[in-house]
Amino acid sequence: MFDLLKLACNTASKAGCQFADARYLSIRKQRVVSRDHALSSCSDGDDRGFGVRVLYQGAWGFASSPTYTADEIEKVVAQAMRIARASAMALREDGVKWAPEPALTLDFKSTCRQDPFAVALEDKADLLIAANGVMLKNKSIKRAQGFLSFKRVQRWYVNSEGSELHSDVTSSESAIWAIAVGNDDFQERNWNAPASNQGFECYRKQEFLNQAERVAAEAEEKLSARLSPEGDFDIITDSENLSLTIHESVGHATELDRVMGYEVSMAGSSFVTRDKQGDFRYGSDQVTLMADNTLENGLATQGFDDDGVPGQRWEIVRDGIFQTYSSGREFAHYIGEERSRGSCRADHWSSIPIVRIPNLFLMPGKTPLSPDELMADVKHGLYFEGMDSFSIDQWRLNFQFGGNAVWEIKNGKKAGMLKAALYQSRTPTFWNACDATCDENYWQPHGVTNCGKGDPMQISQMTHGAAPTRFRKIHICRGRDS
Amino acid sequence: MNRQQSQDLIAAILEIPHEGELQVLLNGVERLGTRFNDCSISQNVLKQQATLTLSARLEQKKTSVSINALDDQELIKRSVEQVFATCRHMPDDEEVMPALGDVLPSTEYAFNAESDTIEIETVGAWAAQACSAGAAAGIDLAGLLAHAKMFTAYGDSAGGFAHERYHRSNYHVTATGTNGSGWAEHQGVSIAQNDVMTATGRAIDKCAGAQDPTVFEPRPVTVILEPQAVGDLMAMAFWYGFDQRAKDEGRSPFSDFDATLGRLSFYSDPAEAAFPTVAFSSDGQALAKSVWLDEGKLQQLFTNRYWANKNGLAVKPAPNNLVLSGDGTSLDDLIRSTDDGILVTRFWYIRSTDARTLGFTGMTRDGTYRIENGEVTHPVVDMRWNESVLKVLDNVVASGKPVATGEFMAMAMPALKVEDFHFSSLSN
Repeated sequence: MFDLLKLACNTASKAGCQFADARYLSIRKQRVVSRDHALSSCSDGDDRGFGVRVLYQGAWGFASSPTYTADEIEKVVAQAMRIARASAMALREDGVKWAPEPALTLDFKSTCRQDPFAVALEDKADLLIAANGVMLKNKSIKRAQGFLSFKRVQRWYVNSEGSELHSDVTSSESAIWAIAVGNDDFQERNWNAPASNQGFECYRKQEFLNQAERVAAEAEEKLSARLSPEGDFDIITDSENLSLTIHESVGHATELDRVMGYEVSMAGSSFVTRDKQGDFRYGSDQVTLMADNTLENGLATQGFDDDGVPGQRWEIVRDGIFQTYSSGREFAHYIGEERSRGSCRADHWSSIPIVRIPNLFLMPGKTPLSPDELMADVKHGLYFEGMDSFSIDQWRLNFQFGGNAVWEIKNGKKAGMLKAALYQSRTPTFWNACDATCDENYWQPHGVTNCGKGDPMQISQMTHGAAPTRFRKIHICRGRDS
Repeated sequence: MNRQQSQDLIAAILEIPHEGELQVLLNGVERLGTRFNDCSISQNVLKQQATLTLSARLEQKKTSVSINALDDQELIKRSVEQVFATCRHMPDDEEVMPALGDVLPSTEYAFNAESDTIEIETVGAWAAQACSAGAAAGIDLAGLLAHAKMFTAYGDSAGGFAHERYHRSNYHVTATGTNGSGWAEHQGVSIAQNDVMTATGRAIDKCAGAQDPTVFEPRPVTVILEPQAVGDLMAMAFWYGFDQRAKDEGRSPFSDFDATLGRLSFYSDPAEAAFPTVAFSSDGQALAKSVWLDEGKLQQLFTNRYWANKNGLAVKPAPNNLVLSGDGTSLDDLIRSTDDGILVTRFWYIRSTDARTLGFTGMTRDGTYRIENGEVTHPVVDMRWNESVLKVLDNVVASGKPVATGEFMAMAMPALKVEDFHFSSLSN
């Protein structure tokens, strides 16, 4: 498989390219969706092709094709160079400064103890339809749904510096949800089985059935929940809820290409400008946010990125102080770093690599602290569980997030469910209001599989994580008028 | 791929021995995309892709498989065998419908012959010219100039066939000064150098007027929303709320709803001149004009074939475009008629906050201005808003002429003047 990719790089080098790389991807997918007592769809996908990226006369060109032959390779290299010449019509004054990286040979395979593509469709149907059946036993539930989604990406990478890399990564994702109708309202409650780079072994039928019963009961309870109060309250977020907040307010904010303006016209820029590196107080001293593209089963753990740089672990925020960014080889020089953080990924063989959020998580508290103890110190507050409405401005400052289920806290204990609750804050204000996070026994990972960035949009995946965490005096508003 | 080539390929696939019913969907795209920032080209990508989706039906069982190698006959044959093999293991679903078997005329509303001639160098040269205009104005420009030539074809073993070629152009540009930014776009099925430079000039002008914004304390106020803001909001509203089945089952903001929402009409029409689209769906159904709101009065919402058959309703497939009517008032006149308001160029990151009331939140972006006594007086700091679309439509007091907008879905939207729009907090 490497031979034709080497041909691409050699052809480009001989034609005068300063740098070239070539990737071949074989992508297999399956998505099984349930609706009430049936499967509403089962779709399989098999997608293969290659992309060639060249740096020619200081400008980038990229072209791709599904036809993997020597003739096509030469044609695509020529197209990529033609595109580079077109790019040179508006060349960056200081040119592309490409961070050095030693030639690497690597073969990475994610853990997959039970191949999801070998599991019978009947077993997948049984899992989802049984869970739906449990949810539909609750008379308030008028719609029960779920899905199982699997992806295996085999990737071969070669560059003109001599790297030869291969990865074989299987990812799995599943969720179930119920919609309750009644009380002149309808409400949805879900359970996301944590997405990860694992196989079917991470799904157990009994867990789906247990979660289905809870999901249905809580969907019904949401119908009669009180409207949320408004004002400033202490809040506690569960690990899933905070994972999304980490993603939006830290992950995207610290992508170096955004900071340098490369995403201004679509996803936006960032308030975390370069002058903040090393001394900006991002959060309280409880807050250490770790990037780790070597995290076991993490969705961004792929052995190496699409610049040919191996996965790494680094601190983005340490004890509340901003340390450094996620980067790719084109961007490291902007912050005086000699090496890329290895966080540049493409979502397809026909897509160009861009800087992506790594696996990124809030480190658990260093002293023993349980969720009950965390809540005991809240006189009147809100507890947010799961992901719901999420919106953040183009500088990653002003945000507003909901929860899939929200409870009022009174005198240190849950005191009934609330409806339409949203927390609204600004990123540094929010993270500086963090006064405690539970210890490692309560830390959980949560996968994000639909992270959109780029133009045209590319969809990437990564894992976040946290233990239940407390924030003091956060503004609460609501999504529904009284 | 032209109509005859598509027809030949689909016919050959349908001849592969199979039981039951086979549906074939072919999609192909050749897309040039040039991104620039800081007045220089940062990404330049040519994407050529084709996808073949095979759907098998055995009575009440249905599955699909997609591949991207259209010239690999062995793989196609194996894929046909695989999709039926998987289908046999599916549980029955009473909602599975047979193929229609309709042969549809090729309308090609969204095909533009001139657009077929746009090449890599053309796109690069236009992007470079835009960058030069930004550099000359001393303003950072960032944007995307993309142009796609596409086709879609459908065939089934019941005799159905449809094919269309179409184009899609997308140019959007953000101009950033020292303390404020402006934005403009050109969307449609064609693009010319003049479209690029007109939008670039508009973004630069917007940017010039957006420097050093002041704080407007967030409160309910009259807003004038330009077409992109209206389009982003209406697209979210459509996909969250305009489903007939959800309405009938009590899972919709329109369940038990009998009020009128203002006086504008909201519809879909593949032949809409402002932004035409392909006139058939991915399962071979013809798309005609569907009216969702007729002068504010709710009509039958989008309805799939199963739900229509079960309930004696007309089939109204999910659409390829959205159009909101307007009364044709110019933007200048909308501003002139406003004593106390905010002019919004663009919305960003709209998300649902309450499905029952069709409530959403979002931010303003790249050009938000104060209107006082009929004039734009100064830029204001961007704001978050929380608002129900039901209330927005009800509070429209004047509107412009629909123009093409929408990067992710084809839309034609007017500017709207909306009273009592709820801004809730400040951004940067």
